[in-house]
Amino acid sequence: MNKLLMKAISLSVAMVFVLSLAACGTSNPSSTATTVSETSEATVTATVTPKPVTLTLWHQWAAPNDGNTKSFRAVLDAWNQKNPSSNIEDDGIDGESYKTKIKTAIAANEAPDIFYSWGAGFSKPFIAANAVLPLDEYLKDGTSDKLLGGALANVTYNGKVYGLPTSLSVASLYCNKELFDKNGIKIPTTFDELIDAAKAFSAKGIIPIDVGEKDLWPGMYWYDILALRTAGAQGCQDALNKTASFDAQPFKDAAAKLQDLVNAKAFNDSLFSNGYNEMIADFTLGKAAMCYQGNWLGGSCEDDKSLVKGKVVVVPFPTLNDDKGSADEFFGGAIDALWVSAKTENKDQAVAAVKFLTENMSNKLYEAGAGLPCWKVTGVDESKISPLTKQTVDMIKNSKGYVMWWDIFLEGKDADTHKNLVAQLFAGKITPDAYAKEMQKLNVKQ
Amino acid sequence: MDRVFGDKKAISLFVLPTLILFVAIIIAPIFLSGYYSLLKWDGIGKGVFIGIKNYRDLFINNSDGFGKSVGNSIILALLSIFIQLPVALILALVLARGMKGEGFYRTVYFIPVIMSTVVIGQLWLKIYNPDYGLLNSLLKGIGLKSLASDWLGDTNKALISVFIPIIWQYTGYHMLLMYASAKSVSEEIYEAARIDGASSFTTAVRITIPMIMPMIEVCITFAVIGSLKIFDLVWILTRGGPLHATEVPSTLMYNTIFNQYQYGYGSSISIFIIAECLIFTLILQRVFKSKS
Repeated sequence: MNKLLMKAISLSVAMVFVLSLAACGTSNPSSTATTVSETSEATVTATVTPKPVTLTLWHQWAAPNDGNTKSFRAVLDAWNQKNPSSNIEDDGIDGESYKTKIKTAIAANEAPDIFYSWGAGFSKPFIAANAVLPLDEYLKDGTSDKLLGGALANVTYNGKVYGLPTSLSVASLYCNKELFDKNGIKIPTTFDELIDAAKAFSAKGIIPIDVGEKDLWPGMYWYDILALRTAGAQGCQDALNKTASFDAQPFKDAAAKLQDLVNAKAFNDSLFSNGYNEMIADFTLGKAAMCYQGNWLGGSCEDDKSLVKGKVVVVPFPTLNDDKGSADEFFGGAIDALWVSAKTENKDQAVAAVKFLTENMSNKLYEAGAGLPCWKVTGVDESKISPLTKQTVDMIKNSKGYVMWWDIFLEGKDADTHKNLVAQLFAGKITPDAYAKEMQKLNVKQ
Repeated sequence: MDRVFGDKKAISLFVLPTLILFVAIIIAPIFLSGYYSLLKWDGIGKGVFIGIKNYRDLFINNSDGFGKSVGNSIILALLSIFIQLPVALILALVLARGMKGEGFYRTVYFIPVIMSTVVIGQLWLKIYNPDYGLLNSLLKGIGLKSLASDWLGDTNKALISVFIPIIWQYTGYHMLLMYASAKSVSEEIYEAARIDGASSFTTAVRITIPMIMPMIEVCITFAVIGSLKIFDLVWILTRGGPLHATEVPSTLMYNTIFNQYQYGYGSSISIFIIAECLIFTLILQRVFKSKS
């Protein structure tokens, strides 16, 4: 009997052990990231002045092969080499965990000197809590002129600039040209053509459009771009800023158009069980003909492992015939930014670092094809830029307006409500009229 | 040794470190949550004291499907009691009789318990995948193509599809508890039963089950409480979706705190979960006491 008890105990000890191992496993990426920075830092500090200031920086560029991570590391190393007296110690973890981490740290008054955050609604509570340093005074030295127009829209609160963006993001329609050509289907430029193309692909057993609605935001992109076309950039901005009503015809039309697509079987059947990763997998495996996503999808398409490398083209989202929006209005904007904590003891160094890092990352990301520039491009060899990035940059050259991802623009609960309402549109559980009424509740509530 | 253990002061000294940890990590946060649940707070700025408004929003003016999420967790609790535990009990009784390969089967049934939940979640995500998943391939292979579906994406099937792995995962755990308990029943009793000519079925029903009843009661309590606070597998498989079909109180709490920044309201859900678990434990203990 005792033997048995011992076995039970040793099994449970083993269980605890395995679980704790698993816990270690998840934290690995961030620890490798820090070791990299520590070694690079060690080589620098060995050669330089005594008593250097050490700045702390938190970011979410931890995935090893990500274009953002590579550019960030290169720029950070350059800063540390040039500025031995104000070295940066960085700490990075991946996206969703980072959101929790930075929120918790700011709530606990333990924010690092410099941190990465998303602009617009996400950082609004930080600004309201006076946790972020306003940068206006520091930008008078000509920095403002180096930025591209509209780049600061999402980092400006109550007329003050609080952060500097690293790159511009824009969503566009990614089309698998090979599938279009093989099946003799025209790449859509109008909504009617989009419906026709969807029906044609569907009839041939090819997924017309892939959406990972389990994560909610990929589906939201579809509603938001349709609303941008029906209501126009200004119309969307007004409604999002609560100065106009969502319970208006353009927003109902956009909802109806989305349901037209659903009824035309334009989306993958598995949209509710697939998330963002599955969506990217389907598209890069060549299973789906179209995907409406941010420009980061370009990196996945051009990856050596991608089966659709060189076969994808980027086009603006199709226009509607009778609407206010034009094809020159885009869904996106500059949202990735670095901010300086209001509590930092080394304000000047931290701001200088943020200026250096963001401007150079903008160039580096553009050069690597991982992002679009939001600073004026300097010192970039344009011949190396990937075709998809070039197409995107050409596409937005004459842009007339941007609307930021609605889930970033709206705050917390409102963003969640919006995404869930769009999910209901996808499932056909709500009518366009009811949808518009529910959306307007976000604007009139207390 | 005996003298040390007989000394009350020594005992209290030895349990002190654990007590401090327990209070700091478990008890204090519960009281803090209780305080937070009275605030309107986004988790970052300053909270505003609003009394019991969060609880009123939760129970009376509810608009986020809290009632349904509680219902879902109660369905899981019932499934645990009426499907998981009987299966575990049967396995335990069969294994405890000393069959061939006893150790092998015991290990096999226990494997899901020692695996990380994330691994199990990924495994079942692949099984349920509508395109290349094991389940749909199997159904197509045996000519039941009409039954194949998007298991985790269909609002009618998602809930049961999520509960099956949860029940599967912990069956081995309850089996091991009951098995260990059944093994500790004295061999003399079985011998007496055999001499009296009792069949193995009669022995199991009349002797083993009554003898291990205390352990079964423990298992029921664990199963109910585990179901009421379930989070991990639901989160990995569906995140409470599609369209809130698989929402349970813990996923709702996570969403309200981390996606909607309603720290105060989320805390009131967490307090509800704690209270719910305590109440169910008390009810179960009362029931067991009156039975014995």
